[in-house]
Amino acid sequence: MIMRPGQQLLLPANPLFIWGSLFAALMFNMLQSSLFGRAAWQPDVLALALVFWVIHQPLRIGVGTAFVFGLSMDVHQGALLGQHALAYTALSYLSISISRRLLWYSIPSQALQIFPLLAGAHALQLVVRLLAGHHFPSWTFLLAPLIEALLWPVVTLILLAPQMRAPDPDEHRPL
Amino acid sequence: VPLGTLDRTPPPFFKQGQSALSKLVLFSALALFLMVADTRFKLTGPVRTAVASALFPLQWLVLRPMEMLRGGGAYFTALSQAQNAEAAAKARLASQAQRAAQVEQLGLENDRLRKLLGLRERLNPAGQAAEVIFDAADPFTRRVMVDKGSAQGVQPGSPVLDDAGVLGQVTRVYPLSSEVTLLIDREHTIPVLNTRTGARSVVYGDPSMHGGALELRFMAGNADVQQGDVLSTSGVDGVYPPGIPVAKVDKVERRADSAFAKITCLPLANTLGARHVLVLEPFSVPIPLPSPVESAQNAPKKGAKK
Repeated sequence: MIMRPGQQLLLPANPLFIWGSLFAALMFNMLQSSLFGRAAWQPDVLALALVFWVIHQPLRIGVGTAFVFGLSMDVHQGALLGQHALAYTALSYLSISISRRLLWYSIPSQALQIFPLLAGAHALQLVVRLLAGHHFPSWTFLLAPLIEALLWPVVTLILLAPQMRAPDPDEHRPL
Repeated sequence: VPLGTLDRTPPPFFKQGQSALSKLVLFSALALFLMVADTRFKLTGPVRTAVASALFPLQWLVLRPMEMLRGGGAYFTALSQAQNAEAAAKARLASQAQRAAQVEQLGLENDRLRKLLGLRERLNPAGQAAEVIFDAADPFTRRVMVDKGSAQGVQPGSPVLDDAGVLGQVTRVYPLSSEVTLLIDREHTIPVLNTRTGARSVVYGDPSMHGGALELRFMAGNADVQQGDVLSTSGVDGVYPPGIPVAKVDKVERRADSAFAKITCLPLANTLGARHVLVLEPFSVPIPLPSPVESAQNAPKKGAKK
Protein backbone atom coordinates (compact mmCIF):
# COMPACT_ATOMS: atom_id res chain seq x y z
CA MET A 1 0.00 0.00 0.00
CA ILE A 2 1.42 3.38 -0.98
CA MET A 3 1.23 5.90 1.82
CA ARG A 4 2.38 9.37 2.72
CA PRO A 5 5.88 9.24 4.26
CA GLY A 6 5.65 9.33 8.04
CA GLN A 7 2.03 8.26 8.13
CA GLN A 8 1.12 5.76 10.81
CA LEU A 9 -0.14 2.34 9.78
CA LEU A 10 -3.76 2.24 10.97
CA LEU A 11 -5.82 -0.57 12.46
CA PRO A 12 -8.98 -1.54 10.57
CA ALA A 13 -12.00 0.64 11.34
CA ASN A 14 -14.72 -0.90 13.45
CA PRO A 15 -18.08 -0.64 11.60
CA LEU A 16 -19.84 -0.23 14.94
CA PHE A 17 -17.66 2.76 15.72
CA ILE A 18 -18.32 4.30 12.29
CA TRP A 19 -22.09 4.08 12.66
CA GLY A 20 -21.96 5.04 16.33
CA SER A 21 -19.96 8.15 15.53
CA LEU A 22 -22.41 9.17 12.81
CA PHE A 23 -25.36 8.85 15.21
CA ALA A 24 -23.36 10.68 17.88
CA ALA A 25 -22.77 13.51 15.38
CA LEU A 26 -26.52 13.63 14.66
CA MET A 27 -27.22 13.84 18.38
CA PHE A 28 -24.55 16.51 18.78
CA ASN A 29 -26.36 18.59 16.14
CA MET A 30 -29.63 18.13 18.05
CA LEU A 31 -27.96 19.18 21.30
CA GLN A 32 -26.46 22.21 19.62
CA SER A 33 -29.81 23.33 18.30
CA SER A 34 -31.43 22.97 21.71
CA LEU A 35 -28.58 25.04 23.21
CA PHE A 36 -28.35 27.82 20.63
CA GLY A 37 -31.82 27.77 19.08
CA ARG A 38 -31.87 28.62 15.40
CA ALA A 39 -28.58 30.53 15.19
CA ALA A 40 -27.30 30.38 11.63
CA TRP A 41 -23.61 30.03 12.49
CA GLN A 42 -23.89 26.58 14.07
CA PRO A 43 -21.36 24.16 12.55
CA ASP A 44 -22.93 21.09 11.03
CA VAL A 45 -20.97 18.34 12.80
CA LEU A 46 -22.93 15.60 11.05
CA ALA A 47 -21.76 16.88 7.65
CA LEU A 48 -18.21 16.90 8.93
CA ALA A 49 -18.43 13.33 10.25
CA LEU A 50 -19.93 12.18 6.95
CA VAL A 51 -17.15 13.83 4.97
CA PHE A 52 -14.58 12.22 7.27
CA TRP A 53 -15.93 8.69 6.86
CA VAL A 54 -16.57 9.09 3.14
CA ILE A 55 -12.95 10.11 2.68
CA HIS A 56 -11.46 7.47 4.99
CA GLN A 57 -13.86 4.58 4.28
CA PRO A 58 -15.38 5.22 0.84
CA LEU A 59 -16.39 1.56 0.49
CA ARG A 60 -18.48 1.60 3.68
CA ILE A 61 -20.01 5.06 3.82
CA GLY A 62 -21.23 6.57 0.60
CA VAL A 63 -23.76 8.79 -1.05
CA GLY A 64 -26.78 6.72 0.09
CA THR A 65 -25.87 6.96 3.76
CA ALA A 66 -25.37 10.70 3.42
CA PHE A 67 -28.82 11.01 1.83
CA VAL A 68 -30.55 9.14 4.66
CA PHE A 69 -28.77 11.17 7.36
CA GLY A 70 -29.66 14.34 5.48
CA LEU A 71 -33.30 13.32 5.47
CA SER A 72 -33.29 12.77 9.23
CA MET A 73 -31.63 16.17 9.70
CA ASP A 74 -34.40 17.77 7.60
CA VAL A 75 -37.11 16.20 9.72
CA HIS A 76 -35.38 17.15 12.96
CA GLN A 77 -35.03 20.79 11.93
CA GLY A 78 -38.48 20.97 10.38
CA ALA A 79 -36.73 22.28 7.26
CA LEU A 80 -37.74 21.74 3.66
CA LEU A 81 -37.72 17.96 3.14
CA GLY A 82 -34.74 17.14 0.92
CA GLN A 83 -32.70 20.25 1.65
CA HIS A 84 -30.01 18.63 3.82
CA ALA A 85 -30.38 15.40 1.85
CA LEU A 86 -29.43 17.19 -1.38
CA ALA A 87 -26.56 19.07 0.27
CA TYR A 88 -25.13 15.93 1.92
CA THR A 89 -25.50 13.95 -1.30
CA ALA A 90 -23.49 16.51 -3.24
CA LEU A 91 -21.01 16.86 -0.38
CA SER A 92 -20.36 13.13 -0.16
CA TYR A 93 -19.99 12.83 -3.94
CA LEU A 94 -17.36 15.59 -3.98
CA SER A 95 -15.64 13.99 -0.98
CA ILE A 96 -15.46 10.63 -2.73
CA SER A 97 -13.99 12.29 -5.80
CA ILE A 98 -11.15 13.85 -3.77
CA SER A 99 -10.74 10.98 -1.29
CA ARG A 100 -7.77 9.34 -3.05
CA ARG A 101 -5.83 12.58 -3.24
CA LEU A 102 -6.68 14.20 0.08
CA LEU A 103 -5.01 11.74 2.45
CA TRP A 104 -1.61 12.51 0.92
CA TYR A 105 -1.69 15.96 2.49
CA SER A 106 -1.07 17.09 6.06
CA ILE A 107 -4.13 17.66 8.22
CA PRO A 108 -4.18 21.52 8.11
CA SER A 109 -3.85 21.32 4.35
CA GLN A 110 -6.74 18.80 4.28
CA ALA A 111 -8.87 21.30 6.22
CA LEU A 112 -8.08 23.94 3.64
CA GLN A 113 -9.22 21.64 0.84
CA ILE A 114 -12.38 20.55 2.68
CA PHE A 115 -13.46 24.15 3.24
CA PRO A 116 -14.77 24.88 -0.29
CA LEU A 117 -16.81 21.66 -0.18
CA LEU A 118 -18.46 22.60 3.10
CA ALA A 119 -19.04 26.17 1.94
CA GLY A 120 -20.60 24.79 -1.23
CA ALA A 121 -22.96 22.57 0.76
CA HIS A 122 -24.13 25.53 2.85
CA ALA A 123 -24.51 27.69 -0.26
CA LEU A 124 -26.59 24.94 -1.90
CA GLN A 125 -28.94 24.89 1.09
CA LEU A 126 -29.23 28.68 1.03
CA VAL A 127 -30.04 28.73 -2.68
CA VAL A 128 -32.66 26.00 -2.28
CA ARG A 129 -34.38 27.84 0.57
CA LEU A 130 -34.31 31.20 -1.17
CA LEU A 131 -35.84 29.56 -4.25
CA ALA A 132 -38.52 28.06 -2.02
CA GLY A 133 -39.36 31.61 -0.88
CA HIS A 134 -37.92 31.76 2.63
CA HIS A 135 -36.17 34.79 4.05
CA PHE A 136 -32.41 35.26 4.24
CA PRO A 137 -31.28 34.12 7.73
CA SER A 138 -28.38 36.40 8.67
CA TRP A 139 -24.81 37.00 7.62
CA THR A 140 -23.48 34.90 10.50
CA PHE A 141 -24.24 31.82 8.41
CA LEU A 142 -20.95 32.53 6.60
CA LEU A 143 -19.19 31.49 9.81
CA ALA A 144 -20.60 27.94 9.73
CA PRO A 145 -18.30 26.42 7.03
CA LEU A 146 -15.34 28.27 8.56
CA ILE A 147 -15.95 26.74 11.99
CA GLU A 148 -16.44 23.33 10.37
CA ALA A 149 -13.11 23.58 8.53
CA LEU A 150 -11.41 24.59 11.78
CA LEU A 151 -12.97 21.55 13.46
CA TRP A 152 -11.50 19.17 10.85
CA PRO A 153 -8.26 18.44 12.81
CA VAL A 154 -10.29 17.82 15.98
CA VAL A 155 -12.66 15.47 14.17
CA THR A 156 -9.73 13.65 12.56
CA LEU A 157 -8.06 13.19 15.94
CA ILE A 158 -11.21 11.88 17.62
CA LEU A 159 -12.46 9.61 14.85
CA LEU A 160 -9.02 8.14 14.03
CA ALA A 161 -8.09 7.55 17.70
CA PRO A 162 -9.41 3.95 17.85
CA GLN A 163 -7.43 3.09 14.72
CA MET A 164 -4.20 4.65 15.97
CA ARG A 165 -3.78 2.21 18.85
CA ALA A 166 -0.91 -0.24 18.84
CA PRO A 167 -1.92 -3.58 17.27
CA ASP A 168 -0.64 -5.60 20.26
CA PRO A 169 -1.05 -3.52 23.44
CA ASP A 170 1.05 -4.54 26.48
CA GLU A 171 1.79 -2.83 29.79
CA HIS A 172 4.29 -0.45 28.18
CA ARG A 173 1.92 0.53 25.41
CA PRO A 174 -1.54 0.42 27.01
CA LEU A 175 -3.29 2.17 24.15
CA VAL B 1 1.74 -9.31 11.52
CA PRO B 2 -1.02 -10.49 13.86
CA LEU B 3 -4.44 -11.20 12.42
CA GLY B 4 -7.01 -8.43 12.59
CA THR B 5 -4.58 -5.66 11.77
CA LEU B 6 -5.31 -5.73 8.08
CA ASP B 7 -8.15 -3.63 6.83
CA ARG B 8 -10.94 -5.71 5.24
CA THR B 9 -10.66 -7.86 2.12
CA PRO B 10 -9.30 -6.16 -0.98
CA PRO B 11 -11.94 -4.35 -3.00
CA PRO B 12 -13.48 -6.34 -5.86
CA PHE B 13 -12.01 -5.71 -9.28
CA PHE B 14 -15.07 -5.90 -11.48
CA LYS B 15 -18.28 -5.86 -9.44
CA GLN B 16 -17.95 -2.44 -7.89
CA GLY B 17 -21.67 -1.68 -7.75
CA GLN B 18 -23.11 1.65 -8.81
CA SER B 19 -20.62 4.42 -9.50
CA ALA B 20 -20.65 7.42 -7.20
CA LEU B 21 -21.82 9.64 -10.05
CA SER B 22 -24.88 7.52 -10.79
CA LYS B 23 -25.71 7.49 -7.07
CA LEU B 24 -25.34 11.26 -6.98
CA VAL B 25 -27.77 11.63 -9.88
CA LEU B 26 -30.26 9.20 -8.33
CA PHE B 27 -30.26 10.70 -4.84
CA SER B 28 -30.22 14.31 -6.05
CA ALA B 29 -33.25 13.56 -8.20
CA LEU B 30 -34.93 11.95 -5.19
CA ALA B 31 -34.12 14.98 -3.02
CA LEU B 32 -35.47 17.37 -5.65
CA PHE B 33 -38.61 15.28 -5.97
CA LEU B 34 -39.07 15.40 -2.19
CA MET B 35 -38.65 19.17 -2.17
CA VAL B 36 -41.24 19.67 -4.88
CA ALA B 37 -43.58 17.20 -3.20
CA ASP B 38 -43.07 19.04 0.08
CA THR B 39 -43.64 22.59 -1.15
CA ARG B 40 -46.14 22.16 -3.98
CA PHE B 41 -48.15 19.03 -3.41
CA LYS B 42 -47.92 18.53 0.38
CA LEU B 43 -47.39 14.82 -0.15
CA THR B 44 -44.56 14.21 2.26
CA GLY B 45 -46.55 13.99 5.50
CA PRO B 46 -46.17 10.20 5.91
CA VAL B 47 -42.42 10.32 5.18
CA ARG B 48 -41.94 13.03 7.77
CA THR B 49 -44.04 11.23 10.33
CA ALA B 50 -42.11 7.98 9.82
CA VAL B 51 -38.69 9.64 10.11
CA ALA B 52 -39.82 11.76 13.05
CA SER B 53 -41.03 8.66 14.90
CA ALA B 54 -37.66 6.99 14.29
CA LEU B 55 -35.82 10.10 15.49
CA PHE B 56 -37.94 10.60 18.59
CA PRO B 57 -35.88 8.34 20.92
CA LEU B 58 -32.69 10.18 19.92
CA GLN B 59 -34.31 13.57 20.51
CA TRP B 60 -35.64 12.41 23.85
CA LEU B 61 -32.17 11.22 24.87
CA VAL B 62 -30.55 14.50 23.86
CA LEU B 63 -33.14 16.56 25.72
CA ARG B 64 -32.57 14.75 29.04
CA PRO B 65 -29.35 16.61 29.99
CA MET B 66 -30.97 19.87 28.88
CA GLU B 67 -33.95 19.25 31.13
CA MET B 68 -31.63 18.42 34.03
CA LEU B 69 -29.67 21.59 33.41
CA ARG B 70 -32.84 23.66 33.38
CA GLY B 71 -34.18 21.94 36.48
CA GLY B 72 -30.86 22.41 38.27
CA GLY B 73 -30.76 26.09 37.34
CA ALA B 74 -34.28 26.63 38.66
CA TYR B 75 -33.37 24.83 41.89
CA PHE B 76 -30.53 27.22 42.60
CA THR B 77 -32.35 30.50 41.90
CA ALA B 78 -32.37 32.74 44.89
CA LEU B 79 -35.25 32.56 47.34
CA SER B 80 -35.71 36.32 47.20
CA GLN B 81 -36.19 36.13 43.44
CA ALA B 82 -38.94 33.56 43.86
CA GLN B 83 -40.59 35.70 46.53
CA ASN B 84 -40.46 38.77 44.31
CA ALA B 85 -42.06 36.82 41.49
CA GLU B 86 -44.80 35.65 43.81
CA ALA B 87 -45.47 39.18 45.05
CA ALA B 88 -45.69 40.47 41.49
CA ALA B 89 -48.04 37.67 40.53
CA LYS B 90 -50.29 38.43 43.53
CA ALA B 91 -50.39 42.12 42.66
CA ARG B 92 -51.39 41.27 39.10
CA LEU B 93 -54.06 38.90 40.33
CA ALA B 94 -55.50 41.61 42.61
CA SER B 95 -55.60 44.12 39.77
CA GLN B 96 -57.40 41.60 37.59
CA ALA B 97 -59.85 40.56 40.31
CA GLN B 98 -62.37 43.26 39.56
CA ARG B 99 -62.43 42.54 35.84
CA ALA B 100 -62.58 38.81 36.48
CA ALA B 101 -65.61 39.32 38.70
CA GLN B 102 -67.33 41.30 35.99
CA VAL B 103 -66.62 38.75 33.28
CA GLU B 104 -69.29 36.30 34.44
CA GLN B 105 -71.92 38.98 34.46
CA LEU B 106 -70.80 40.46 31.16
CA GLY B 107 -70.73 37.03 29.58
CA LEU B 108 -74.30 36.37 30.67
CA GLU B 109 -75.41 39.78 29.45
CA ASN B 110 -73.63 39.19 26.14
CA ASP B 111 -75.36 35.82 25.71
CA ARG B 112 -78.76 37.36 26.30
CA LEU B 113 -78.14 40.30 24.00
CA ARG B 114 -76.90 37.97 21.29
CA LYS B 115 -80.01 35.84 21.66
CA LEU B 116 -82.13 38.94 21.55
CA LEU B 117 -80.45 40.05 18.34
CA GLY B 118 -80.53 36.54 16.89
CA LEU B 119 -76.74 36.36 16.50
CA ARG B 120 -74.66 33.24 16.54
CA GLU B 121 -73.35 32.35 19.97
CA ARG B 122 -69.73 32.74 20.77
CA LEU B 123 -67.82 29.49 20.90
CA ASN B 124 -65.25 28.79 23.55
CA PRO B 125 -62.92 26.21 22.06
CA ALA B 126 -61.32 23.70 24.40
CA GLY B 127 -57.56 23.86 24.86
CA GLN B 128 -54.75 21.86 26.35
CA ALA B 129 -51.54 23.01 27.95
CA ALA B 130 -48.28 22.11 26.25
CA GLU B 131 -44.63 22.83 26.75
CA VAL B 132 -42.14 24.13 24.19
CA ILE B 133 -39.35 21.54 24.03
CA PHE B 134 -36.98 23.23 21.60
CA ASP B 135 -36.72 25.81 18.86
CA ALA B 136 -36.71 24.23 15.40
CA ALA B 137 -33.09 24.69 14.34
CA ASP B 138 -33.95 25.81 10.82
CA PRO B 139 -32.58 29.38 10.55
CA PHE B 140 -34.84 30.16 7.58
CA THR B 141 -38.10 29.94 9.52
CA ARG B 142 -39.40 30.76 12.99
CA ARG B 143 -40.85 27.61 14.48
CA VAL B 144 -40.85 25.77 17.80
CA MET B 145 -41.67 22.21 18.77
CA VAL B 146 -44.17 21.46 21.54
CA ASP B 147 -44.54 18.23 23.45
CA LYS B 148 -48.12 17.37 22.45
CA GLY B 149 -48.88 15.55 19.22
CA SER B 150 -51.60 13.66 17.44
CA ALA B 151 -51.61 11.08 20.25
CA GLN B 152 -52.88 13.85 22.56
CA GLY B 153 -55.39 15.06 19.97
CA VAL B 154 -53.58 18.08 18.54
CA GLN B 155 -54.88 18.96 15.09
CA PRO B 156 -52.98 20.79 12.35
CA GLY B 157 -54.05 24.41 12.17
CA SER B 158 -54.75 24.76 15.88
CA PRO B 159 -54.04 28.22 17.32
CA VAL B 160 -51.40 28.38 20.05
CA LEU B 161 -51.43 31.02 22.79
CA ASP B 162 -49.10 31.95 25.59
CA ASP B 163 -49.99 33.99 28.69
CA ALA B 164 -49.85 37.30 26.82
CA GLY B 165 -51.45 36.56 23.46
CA VAL B 166 -51.35 34.59 20.25
CA LEU B 167 -48.04 32.78 19.75
CA GLY B 168 -48.68 31.02 16.45
CA GLN B 169 -50.32 28.09 14.79
CA VAL B 170 -49.67 24.34 14.66
CA THR B 171 -48.39 23.53 11.17
CA ARG B 172 -47.20 19.93 11.43
CA VAL B 173 -48.35 17.22 13.77
CA TYR B 174 -46.20 14.22 14.64
CA PRO B 175 -47.34 11.35 16.88
CA LEU B 176 -45.77 12.73 20.08
CA SER B 177 -44.85 16.30 19.23
CA SER B 178 -45.99 19.04 16.92
CA GLU B 179 -44.48 22.00 15.19
CA VAL B 180 -45.77 25.51 15.82
CA THR B 181 -45.08 28.28 13.32
CA LEU B 182 -44.60 31.49 15.28
CA LEU B 183 -46.56 34.54 14.22
CA ILE B 184 -43.30 36.34 13.32
CA ASP B 185 -42.58 33.75 10.61
CA ARG B 186 -42.65 35.18 7.12
CA GLU B 187 -45.31 32.74 5.96
CA HIS B 188 -47.64 33.44 8.86
CA THR B 189 -50.58 35.81 8.52
CA ILE B 190 -53.35 36.48 10.96
CA PRO B 191 -56.53 38.57 10.61
CA VAL B 192 -56.78 41.19 13.31
CA LEU B 193 -59.03 43.91 14.63
CA ASN B 194 -57.80 47.25 15.92
CA THR B 195 -59.39 47.36 19.38
CA ARG B 196 -59.47 51.18 19.41
CA THR B 197 -61.12 51.79 16.05
CA GLY B 198 -62.61 48.41 15.18
CA ALA B 199 -60.92 48.39 11.77
CA ARG B 200 -60.18 44.92 10.46
CA SER B 201 -56.93 44.06 8.72
CA VAL B 202 -54.30 41.36 8.40
CA VAL B 203 -50.84 41.27 9.94
CA TYR B 204 -47.93 39.51 8.31
CA GLY B 205 -44.89 38.06 10.05
CA ASP B 206 -41.62 39.88 9.45
CA PRO B 207 -38.63 37.99 10.88
CA SER B 208 -36.04 40.30 9.32
CA MET B 209 -36.37 42.83 12.16
CA HIS B 210 -34.24 42.07 15.18
CA GLY B 211 -36.05 39.47 17.24
CA GLY B 212 -38.94 39.41 14.81
CA ALA B 213 -41.90 41.73 14.33
CA LEU B 214 -45.18 41.97 12.46
CA GLU B 215 -46.24 44.21 9.65
CA LEU B 216 -49.68 45.64 9.07
CA ARG B 217 -49.80 45.87 5.29
CA PHE B 218 -52.14 47.58 2.87
CA MET B 219 -53.37 50.26 5.27
CA ALA B 220 -54.03 53.56 3.52
CA GLY B 221 -51.57 56.37 4.21
CA ASN B 222 -54.16 58.26 6.21
CA ALA B 223 -55.62 55.24 8.03
CA ASP B 224 -56.42 55.76 11.68
CA VAL B 225 -53.65 53.74 13.29
CA GLN B 226 -51.63 55.12 16.16
CA GLN B 227 -48.62 53.97 18.03
CA GLY B 228 -49.72 51.85 20.99
CA ASP B 229 -52.91 50.49 19.42
CA VAL B 230 -53.60 46.91 20.46
CA LEU B 231 -54.54 44.48 17.69
CA SER B 232 -56.60 41.45 18.64
CA THR B 233 -57.85 38.50 16.61
CA SER B 234 -60.97 39.28 14.66
CA GLY B 235 -62.25 35.73 14.32
CA VAL B 236 -63.20 36.09 10.65
CA ASP B 237 -60.71 33.37 9.68
CA GLY B 238 -62.44 30.56 11.51
CA VAL B 239 -59.16 29.53 13.12
CA TYR B 240 -58.47 31.97 15.94
CA PRO B 241 -61.23 32.69 18.43
CA PRO B 242 -62.03 36.43 18.40
CA GLY B 243 -60.68 38.86 20.96
CA ILE B 244 -57.27 37.44 21.76
CA PRO B 245 -54.51 40.07 21.83
CA VAL B 246 -51.94 39.67 19.06
CA ALA B 247 -49.69 42.69 18.80
CA LYS B 248 -49.15 46.32 19.68
CA VAL B 249 -48.44 48.95 17.04
CA ASP B 250 -44.84 50.05 17.44
CA LYS B 251 -44.16 52.47 14.62
CA VAL B 252 -46.28 54.16 11.96
CA GLU B 253 -44.44 55.66 9.00
CA ARG B 254 -46.58 57.73 6.64
CA ARG B 255 -44.65 58.60 3.53
CA ALA B 256 -45.66 60.99 0.80
CA ASP B 257 -44.37 58.76 -1.99
CA SER B 258 -46.45 55.74 -1.02
CA ALA B 259 -50.19 55.22 -0.91
CA PHE B 260 -49.78 52.90 2.06
CA ALA B 261 -48.49 53.51 5.54
CA LYS B 262 -45.67 51.31 6.78
CA ILE B 263 -46.86 50.01 10.12
CA THR B 264 -44.64 47.85 12.30
CA CYS B 265 -46.12 45.96 15.24
CA LEU B 266 -44.51 44.00 18.03
CA PRO B 267 -46.02 40.67 19.09
CA LEU B 268 -47.41 40.61 22.62
CA ALA B 269 -46.59 36.92 23.10
CA ASN B 270 -43.06 36.01 24.11
CA THR B 271 -41.93 34.72 20.72
CA LEU B 272 -38.31 34.33 21.77
CA GLY B 273 -38.70 32.31 24.94
CA ALA B 274 -42.23 31.09 25.57
CA ARG B 275 -42.21 27.89 27.59
CA HIS B 276 -45.77 27.01 28.58
CA VAL B 277 -48.38 27.42 25.90
CA LEU B 278 -52.03 26.61 25.33
CA VAL B 279 -53.04 24.70 22.19
CA LEU B 280 -56.66 25.43 21.28
CA GLU B 281 -58.85 23.42 19.01
CA PRO B 282 -59.40 25.18 15.68
CA PHE B 283 -62.40 27.40 16.11
CA SER B 284 -64.39 26.89 12.98
CA VAL B 285 -67.52 28.71 12.04
CA PRO B 286 -69.12 27.30 8.92
CA ILE B 287 -69.17 30.20 6.50
CA PRO B 288 -72.69 30.50 5.05
CA LEU B 289 -72.36 29.99 1.31
CA PRO B 290 -75.08 31.18 -1.01
CA SER B 291 -77.09 28.10 -1.95
CA PRO B 292 -76.51 27.11 -5.60
CA VAL B 293 -80.22 26.78 -6.39
CA GLU B 294 -81.01 30.28 -5.25
CA SER B 295 -78.09 31.87 -7.08
CA ALA B 296 -78.99 29.95 -10.24
CA GLN B 297 -82.54 31.28 -10.09
CA ASN B 298 -81.44 34.83 -9.50
CA ALA B 299 -78.80 34.81 -12.21
CA PRO B 300 -79.98 36.46 -15.41
CA LYS B 301 -80.32 33.85 -18.11
CA LYS B 302 -78.02 34.84 -20.89
CA GLY B 303 -78.31 33.26 -24.30
CA ALA B 304 -81.47 31.34 -23.39
CA LYS B 305 -83.22 31.02 -26.67
CA LYS B 306 -86.42 29.36 -25.57
